[in-house]
Amino acid sequence: MFNARITLPPQAKVGETVEVKVLMRHPMDRGGQSDGKGGTVPRKILNRMTATYAGAEIFRIDMHTGVAANPFVSFSTRAVETGDIVFEWREDGGATYTRTARLTVI
Amino acid sequence: MRLPLLLIGLFVALAPAGAEEIASGSSFLSPEMRRQQDDPNRNPAWFWVDQGKELFAQKPATGQACLGCHADPATSLRGAAVRYPQVDGASGKLLNLEGRIEQCRVERQQQPAFGYESAELLSLTTYLASLSRGQPMSVRTDGPAQAYYEAGKAFYERRQGQLNLSCKQCHDGLVGQKLRGDTISYGAGTGYPAYRLEWNSVGSLHRRLRACSLGVRASQFDYGSPEYLALELYLAGRAKGLPGETPAMRR
Repeated sequence: MFNARITLPPQAKVGETVEVKVLMRHPMDRGGQSDGKGGTVPRKILNRMTATYAGAEIFRIDMHTGVAANPFVSFSTRAVETGDIVFEWREDGGATYTRTARLTVI
Repeated sequence: MRLPLLLIGLFVALAPAGAEEIASGSSFLSPEMRRQQDDPNRNPAWFWVDQGKELFAQKPATGQACLGCHADPATSLRGAAVRYPQVDGASGKLLNLEGRIEQCRVERQQQPAFGYESAELLSLTTYLASLSRGQPMSVRTDGPAQAYYEAGKAFYERRQGQLNLSCKQCHDGLVGQKLRGDTISYGAGTGYPAYRLEWNSVGSLHRRLRACSLGVRASQFDYGSPEYLALELYLAGRAKGLPGETPAMRR
């Protein structure tokens, strides 16, 4: 089950650097365990997270099997205009998840 | 005139810490991990709280949602979790918070039980316990609960397993020392259900107790077994006055 907690400062001034914190809920199963029927459990992790803001991709991370369950990521970006930061995750198997967080710029 | 007061103060300061004076597991965490635990934006256990809150308001196939009876849980159920385990008036059995939720679900909501350690029961337990954050542990250990409390105390003090260790030997006698890369705590259990790094997930106190039993190579009891329930009551009674810390993080 996927979920995310995104933390932004309540508001920011134009040109200010803001810290974006993202905590994800995901088992990040690296696979390879026996499935009890002679096969192995396939890998199922979030393999990419991207963040888009003001029409541009501001952050991207590719994740691999070394990343623990329920990963935490933080990064910085410059406040340009009031708008949504759109987060998108890509999971093994093709599923995608999207969350948005509003950045208020004064 | 000042001297007697000063002397009393000195005696209080010098008095050895009583056996009942214990600290929560949080005081044994590294500063970095403690900061992570105290920040809801970095402590993954809050996902379980969120899920529990949703389940609490969700109507089952038939009957009412939990919220139907327990309106405004943030106020009405504040301080409820720190009074568990407690003896159920009707059946005379000892129930912990998990047991009470399952009882409500089966008897009042007429739904099949979630099952111990299922994601749903863990979430609901974590949510309800989180409503009592900061409230002092205040289980009853007298009256009908006394027999259970004594049984839990006996379990705590009894040597068991291939290593022939009692809980007390480590969790009273060797607190602060190292065991397999971790610091031995008092085993207060006030943060459970807690997010353990070893599990990559939230787990119940009974899951933790099963890990303890395995550690001393003793027999592991079932989730919700009378042995662990009595021990849970003893641990809660021993931690009386300590604040509830669910959802905590532990190593």
